[in-house]
Amino acid sequence: MSDFLPPLNEHNLPYPDTIHPIVVHFVIAMVLFAFLCDVIGYYTRNSRLYEVSWWNLFFATISIFIAVIFGQVEAGLAEPYAAAERTLNVHTLIGWSLSGIIAAITGWRYILRSRDPKQLPVSFLVIGALLSVLVFYQVYLGDKLVWVYGLHTVPVVDAIKDGVL
Amino acid sequence: MNPELIDQLSGQLGPNGLPYTIPIHPNLVHLTLGLFIVAIAFDVVGVLFPLERPVFKLLAIPAARSNFFDVGWYNMLASAIVTFFTVAAGFYEIMLAQPAATGASAWGLEAMETMLWHGVGGVVLLAMIVGMTVWRGFQRFAWRKDRAQQVQWSYLIVGLLIFGIMFIHGTLGAQLAAEFGVHNTADMLLQEGQDPNALLR
Repeated sequence: MSDFLPPLNEHNLPYPDTIHPIVVHFVIAMVLFAFLCDVIGYYTRNSRLYEVSWWNLFFATISIFIAVIFGQVEAGLAEPYAAAERTLNVHTLIGWSLSGIIAAITGWRYILRSRDPKQLPVSFLVIGALLSVLVFYQVYLGDKLVWVYGLHTVPVVDAIKDGVL
Repeated sequence: MNPELIDQLSGQLGPNGLPYTIPIHPNLVHLTLGLFIVAIAFDVVGVLFPLERPVFKLLAIPAARSNFFDVGWYNMLASAIVTFFTVAAGFYEIMLAQPAATGASAWGLEAMETMLWHGVGGVVLLAMIVGMTVWRGFQRFAWRKDRAQQVQWSYLIVGLLIFGIMFIHGTLGAQLAAEFGVHNTADMLLQEGQDPNALLR
């Protein structure tokens, strides 16, 4: 397997820096902004914001699959030490689930929009709020992997290579 | 920042050098970058709309050109608002940073140089994002109010150049986190000779 990959660098990656945390910009920002637009659109009766919300969700749906692919590659190369394992497992599980959940919600939105782009049922706002909570939790877990456990950071990779960790 | 000055807060700071476990700045960065890049991307989609019309038709996705420009405007506006907080949180956290004084990044910069460039770059990018928002607003509400193509090519080209600045700037930030271990709990514990695996369980 290693014959097919470029040599791993000091981050234990075949490319300079982690890519997953960049791709997730387009899931986190777009899902949260879509929800914000729906809420503002609902209370101001501005249906133009529903369109802004829809296209942001559309973009998030494409992005999450790319995020999961890079996430899986980088999780596979993370060599988590025992303390970090549980968080990485839960983050992986929710990440895969989110790809299905966001795709399903966008599909529902597509149908709602096809029927009447100027109306949005309250139930969609409720689902949007729940999705936002789940995204926040997922971001928290990802943050823990980077900022608390330091996966793919040079000092941690060094420590693992030296057998200290 | 002078370590003795940071010690004035020592009672409030955790092992990562912050009064909280997860840094705030990198999370607001998701919003700044995501909103800005998607704003420009959708303006590009709006400008190239005549080429895309058959694709949307094939996919059975109803699409109106003006809606793409709505995304371009609202996302850019949101990016400008959020970025004030991104930069504020960044300066708070950079003032409490105490990276190791040894070693250089993959780009050959030491920790202090990287922090200075990332700090200055953040303010420059804030100014650029706000400038782009004002420029976008003039196109939307005055100069091109009645045009089918709401944005100028020059605006899109400047937007793409800013992507380049964001890439360089973001990589400097990533190097602060993942090479110098700034505000990174495990990295800072290792620096002090402690075992993250035992302490972070």
